[in-house]
Amino acid sequence: MYNLKGGIKAWQGLKAVGPVELNLDLIQGDESPVAMIEISYGMEETLRKFYLLASEQIKNGEVVALLKKLGDIEERHKQILLSRYAELNPSEPDGQAGLADRLPQILEGGFKFSEFLDRNRAAFQSIPELLDLAMMIETQALDLYLRFAMKMSEESSKKILYKIADEEKAHLEALGKLRDKPFMEKKLTLHLPFMS
Amino acid sequence: MKPVLWRKLFGPVKALEPDQVKDYILQHPEGTYALIDVRQPGEYEAEHIPGAQLIPLPDLANSLNKLDPEKPTIVY
Repeated sequence: MYNLKGGIKAWQGLKAVGPVELNLDLIQGDESPVAMIEISYGMEETLRKFYLLASEQIKNGEVVALLKKLGDIEERHKQILLSRYAELNPSEPDGQAGLADRLPQILEGGFKFSEFLDRNRAAFQSIPELLDLAMMIETQALDLYLRFAMKMSEESSKKILYKIADEEKAHLEALGKLRDKPFMEKKLTLHLPFMS
Repeated sequence: MKPVLWRKLFGPVKALEPDQVKDYILQHPEGTYALIDVRQPGEYEAEHIPGAQLIPLPDLANSLNKLDPEKPTIVY
């Protein structure tokens, strides 16, 4: 048993926000590995679309380039999920088309792209602020995958979620290293959809 | 209460610096350790370490069935 010295007040690492049950209604907790991949694929595609939409509305060339890179990373996550999907579904010739057809409307109820963009437009003014935003979004995604895993009764589906969470951790580590470069100074207050 | 869980809960606890916990989380695959937040729900909602399982301190002794005695556990 280990104790974090100083508690969360001393913690300088990633922090997620929101109640335990946030977005947990997206799963029942007994989904098969294939169903869990479908849901995760939908989440990654939602994030990819968000970065793409933002890149179409921003004029700053450097920020646009970073947004496209962030979108590419989400596409890579989708490809990893697609490979796993193909392993589990060898009879389905075009896994990507099948997944796309069944994309659940992840976060649709509480996540309206244009509204989120409008409320957080300051984040798209510079690279440091955009990286803060991306890290906050990815931290929330990591937290959600791990809360999904806690709810999940199916062990093989839990393993899928842990793998995806490990990918997100690596992604966050990379973003953090980029953020720690000398030009990173400002802290950003992010307005998330579920915060009033 | 199962003896192994009793020893886990009330046995020696090693204090780790924040950087040590950060490194531990980075270096260990998810699912191989447990991260427990013993604060109240409102505190958890305001901020928490991603993936932390909320078990408020007053509920901890009655929630031992939620802990895996084989997994290293980090508490805050």
